[in-house]
Amino acid sequence: MTQEASGKPDAKKVLVIGGGVAGITAAIEAAEAGCQVVLVERAPSLGGRVARMNQYFPKLCPPACGLEINFKRMKSNSSIQVLTQAEVQDLAGSPGDYTATVKISPRYVTDACTQCGECVKVCPAERSSEFDYGMSKTKAVYLPQANAFPALYALEREACPAGCDLCVKACAYGAIDLNQKAETKTISVSAVIAATGWVPYDASKITNLGYGRCANVVTNVIMERLASVSGPTQGKILRPSDGKEPKTVAFVQCAGSRDENHLPYCSAVCCSASLKQATYVRSAYPEAKVKIFYIDIRTPGRLEDFYTKVSSDPMVELIKGKVAKVEEDPATKDVILEVEDVLHGKKITERVDLLVLATGIVPQTQGLPAAATLDEFGFVDNRPGKTGFYGAGCVRRPEEVSATVQDATGAALKALQCAVRSAHHG
Amino acid sequence: MAEPILLTPDTEFIKNVLASGGGDLKKGFQCATCSVACTLSPEDSPFPRKQMILAQWGLKDKLLADPALWLCHNCGDCTTLCPRGAKPGNVLGALRNQAIQHFAAPSCLSRMATSPKAWPVLFVPGILVFGALALWGPKEITEPREFANVFPLHVLEPIFFAVSGLVLLAFAMGLFKFIKGLRSSGADGSILAGIIPAAVEIMTHKRFKECGKEKNRFWGHLLTLWGFAGLALMGTVVGIGTMAGFMHTPLAWTNPWKIFANVCAAVVLVGGLILLGDRLADAEKRKATTYFDWSFLLILVGIVSTGIAAELLRTGQLVTAMYTVYFVHLVLIFALFLFAPYTKFAHMAYRTVAMAATRKRT
Repeated sequence: MTQEASGKPDAKKVLVIGGGVAGITAAIEAAEAGCQVVLVERAPSLGGRVARMNQYFPKLCPPACGLEINFKRMKSNSSIQVLTQAEVQDLAGSPGDYTATVKISPRYVTDACTQCGECVKVCPAERSSEFDYGMSKTKAVYLPQANAFPALYALEREACPAGCDLCVKACAYGAIDLNQKAETKTISVSAVIAATGWVPYDASKITNLGYGRCANVVTNVIMERLASVSGPTQGKILRPSDGKEPKTVAFVQCAGSRDENHLPYCSAVCCSASLKQATYVRSAYPEAKVKIFYIDIRTPGRLEDFYTKVSSDPMVELIKGKVAKVEEDPATKDVILEVEDVLHGKKITERVDLLVLATGIVPQTQGLPAAATLDEFGFVDNRPGKTGFYGAGCVRRPEEVSATVQDATGAALKALQCAVRSAHHG
Repeated sequence: MAEPILLTPDTEFIKNVLASGGGDLKKGFQCATCSVACTLSPEDSPFPRKQMILAQWGLKDKLLADPALWLCHNCGDCTTLCPRGAKPGNVLGALRNQAIQHFAAPSCLSRMATSPKAWPVLFVPGILVFGALALWGPKEITEPREFANVFPLHVLEPIFFAVSGLVLLAFAMGLFKFIKGLRSSGADGSILAGIIPAAVEIMTHKRFKECGKEKNRFWGHLLTLWGFAGLALMGTVVGIGTMAGFMHTPLAWTNPWKIFANVCAAVVLVGGLILLGDRLADAEKRKATTYFDWSFLLILVGIVSTGIAAELLRTGQLVTAMYTVYFVHLVLIFALFLFAPYTKFAHMAYRTVAMAATRKRT
């Protein structure tokens, strides 16, 4: 399933941890500049958070569009070795001369898989889909996502009934191997790029905003799945409680962000994300009303044009004031929110069909090697003068996709410089 | 375009708010979480978000005349939810302190009463008056010994009634300015019509009860207020009674008024200690508590504890100790009354008037 990196022993080699848009970009950029790259991804497919979006900035394309191009660049470049379901367990050594220990968990599906889907038809067991944030289920043997890379099914062995081998029998290509074992690899590299991305802030911690307590309070990442054709509702935005089409949708900005009780920093992308999701609602339901409650709308640079465009829609109302109380009507499951309309100095109570919490970005630094130094907010800190280990993308700072791509390109250059230095002196 | 409005920030005022318990004022970023967190804040004119920005801008006159300062009961729900740690509850407390200092007349007394350095001065008038009385006043020794041997009632009562008159006059001056301010800020409810319902609301702690948390403070404050009201009533009745000659102190232990007074004193002591303990137990609250709060609470607790101690010492006939403690008791009461319009004591009057002025006519 993976191409072995065919480098000479003294080749410049870079390890990229994380196969989201940042890691993919860093890997391709470094490889196209002549480096050997090992890309390690924990999930069974590359794509990360971007793959789970309905549309992404700046051009509001579906994620397949950008990811496809990158997967193609990757396939045509023999300098990139991709390891999925793999995690870096240890990183020893120093800049220019690292030894990484990578644990690869068994996929139980080999490169012989043709994605015919016969295994899924016979599989008796189910697993919760992490890809859909737990909103849907797949069979224990499953395709990680549409356009999966590598284009192979995977099997969650923990979900299998004891002794079951129906999928093995159903596979005409002999692609399912239940005896696969975890393996450990040691890889020598000159530099490391951490592109492990982010996780959405746990909205249930913001108790006054009702997530987990009110059925029709969702988060912005769930909204992306609801709007996505590959999502649990096949792209129809429906209320979780009754599957009704919402006529009023409200967004709570800074749900957890810029809040010292939760995330003390601004997550930078949530204002644009809510404006974008307002367009999902508006194009799906021409009668629907959208209300966005904000402290300040932060849409820097060219995103301001997007803000101007969305806010000029008469059905989209932006109200200055942070929602601080959310209740549920027990009969209708409507969401009732309370906020002070700051510009008018009145407290208002709104009843809406669906409430979206614009939750923020938490750096995914769990399991990163000790070489990663973190800043006061827990993001990977690329201190000036620090070489060998670089953060890129949302693990370094909250940013939208285009900024992430630029950041990853910069990190690739830094890693290359480190590799070249070590090749000269080493 | 509307005419531009020129704001003139009173920077001295901002510094005073920062120094008197509102130290985190400037962290507020107007998200308005506080206005929603507050269960007491009305829909048509929510607080404290607006008061936070007025304070940040140093708009002293507009702010100190704002009745919302007195509708806040310092529950702290706003402070708990505040995403910035701006502690709006503490800021409003500081603003109330500033309001009392601002409206109280004459202002020289106000400055003195609110300055920690002048703390000993609060007790000088009492020490002089009661010291003189003890040294040179008329003495009539009885057995068993009574307080009236050294501090005869026919002298004490006129002193206290005279002081009460002065204090009421000072209160009237301060409240007059305050009511003018309230009117200019749009609080137009009839104060005369509203004062009884407001007093009932205060005595029952109806609004206090709506606070989301802080049950300790509810009970502490309720007990202190009721006990204090009882003692004030009792003092007036005994004062008039002895002057008119139909009551004679010391009252017997079994006298209903005596029993009532002792119960009230115990209630104030318990309430006052709960309030003190509440502020002492929490580091954040300790930080937000200023001289203005401490001095008031300590004098209050000091009065009831010396009162109870003096009573016990008299019963035990420990002569020197009983007169000394009673002297301290008198000095503390004198300080509390004389400086009532300038200390936290005055919050009672301002709050009642503000609540009366903002009552909705039904």
